[in-house]
Amino acid sequence: MTRLSLSLILVIVGCAVACQRAEVSPVNMQTREVRDDLGRAVRVPQKIERAISLAPNLTEMIFALGAGDRLVGVTTYCNFPPGAASIEKIGDTQTPNIEKIIALRPQVVFVSTASQLEAFMQTLNEQSIAVYVTNPKTLDEVFENLIDLGDLLGSNRAAEELVASLAERAANVRQHAIAPTVPPDSSAAEPRVFVQISNEPLFTIGRDSFLTELIQQAGGVSVTKDVPSGYPKLSKETAAALDPDVIILSDSPDNQRPSAAFKDSKAVKIGRIHRINADIISRPGPRLVDALEEIKRMLHPGN
Amino acid sequence: MLLAISVGSERLSVFDLSDTQAAIFFDIRMPRVLLAACVGASLATAGASLQALLRNPLAEPYLLGVSNGAALGTMLAFVFFEQFVLARPVMAFAGAGLATAVVYQMARSRAGMNVERLVLSGVIVTTFLSSIIVLLTSLLDAARLRGFTFWLLGDLSQATMNGFYLTFAAAVTGTIVLTAQARPLNLMMIGERDALDFGVETGRVRLIVFGVSSLLVGTAVAASGSVGYVGLIVPHLVRLAIGSDNRLVVPVSAVAGSIFVVLADMVARTAIAPRELPVGAITALIGAPMFIYLLRRN
Repeated sequence: MTRLSLSLILVIVGCAVACQRAEVSPVNMQTREVRDDLGRAVRVPQKIERAISLAPNLTEMIFALGAGDRLVGVTTYCNFPPGAASIEKIGDTQTPNIEKIIALRPQVVFVSTASQLEAFMQTLNEQSIAVYVTNPKTLDEVFENLIDLGDLLGSNRAAEELVASLAERAANVRQHAIAPTVPPDSSAAEPRVFVQISNEPLFTIGRDSFLTELIQQAGGVSVTKDVPSGYPKLSKETAAALDPDVIILSDSPDNQRPSAAFKDSKAVKIGRIHRINADIISRPGPRLVDALEEIKRMLHPGN
Repeated sequence: MLLAISVGSERLSVFDLSDTQAAIFFDIRMPRVLLAACVGASLATAGASLQALLRNPLAEPYLLGVSNGAALGTMLAFVFFEQFVLARPVMAFAGAGLATAVVYQMARSRAGMNVERLVLSGVIVTTFLSSIIVLLTSLLDAARLRGFTFWLLGDLSQATMNGFYLTFAAAVTGTIVLTAQARPLNLMMIGERDALDFGVETGRVRLIVFGVSSLLVGTAVAASGSVGYVGLIVPHLVRLAIGSDNRLVVPVSAVAGSIFVVLADMVARTAIAPRELPVGAITALIGAPMFIYLLRRN
């Protein structure tokens, strides 16, 4: 009996000490105010030691900056780079586990869209955990994000070098993305590209997808660039009438072949069907430049 | 029907078709319109017969959970027997039959079967099956089941001629068999005891109606997902127009159901072209207010 109550007391005291320590640490930190992509003022510590990423593109960016060791939590979708695998998982991007996030005692939580924010900003603010929102929609915005994140994480040098090298690769692609031997008005100069996200039902990219711009930079034109929204379900009748020169399949088990609607298209007849890693074309992060280079090789293999 | 075939996200002139336009017309638009017609006929016929059998104006495959049973069956077939094309309609039929049996057992009481009891049983079975479907979609590989979320709301965009043949066969056979049961159903609407006095084998009629409507709903759902409320709206409009003699209501519902789903899908195909809406959203938009109206009138 005495032993039991003694151990109970020990547990309570232990908890009190531990809880106290958790509360004390952020107070001692020097903080500063920054603006995130939504223009919100966010107060973050001068030196960020513990951060959580709620999106795979953010995880990739933070690792690319050499700051992966600062991440104490990532989502189950965060499968790249390999180092992300050993980090604690806090659930997926849509349904993160808020208790787990708080238990990991992060100073900052990085989220990728405003929609994620609403759900738990208040709870996290009450725990004095900063929430920083990034929302890159173009390659240039990915570069801006890398600079901002570098500044936040104290990796300014690394960020500048990384962006310089990525920007150079992108410029190199743009330079070689036109075939010099063909007249600029022929279809070979600017192949008409259809990106198939899934076969049944038929989903593609629309006006608001960053891939539309990426294809443009790779020297092609997306045949669905004027369709409203980011990732529309497309009428098969329209798909059949589009007659693309090239079809790019987002590589997943249910998307290995072009839709039957394309059976008479130029792309199918001459066999210009390509597959591309679904992760690198769905995450606006550093590997978007890999995607750009790969798409350029598909559209203009010669140069 | 002609209207639906002539309208789509691409403008076509029937008299002057290029190769691509011919492909659009014969490979994409025709199978879809034909499938929509079969799905409409199946759901409306099943709804009309279930309403007569259960003497309940709110009996409807979607509301009773029969469609969800078929949807779960289709999904399980997709997960476990992906390579067998026929597994989906067969499992959908099994799921629909099972859901029908469960709802019927739950709704029956010593005092008979009243409207509230039946609708409540339907709600329970529907939500229970929905939760299993949601559970499955969260447990299984997300990319593989991405199409299902769209399909669950009713989606005719995956129509092919092969899918059409099976649904067509089921719709025609089902309508004929159920029309043949119309006279006993008429008698049973007066009262089961009276029907027995007239020599109607009520048990046999019940088995046939449950079995055949499960078959109709199963094949329709396997081909197009859960297109809701068709079995509710169509038979009611038909009864308003021609009275409640099942010998007419059942076959006329089949025809009217075809027209209704074909038109609803035409809206789904063209409203925001070149993008598409799920057809189930259109039918529910019309059907749910109608359900409330019928409930109040009761």
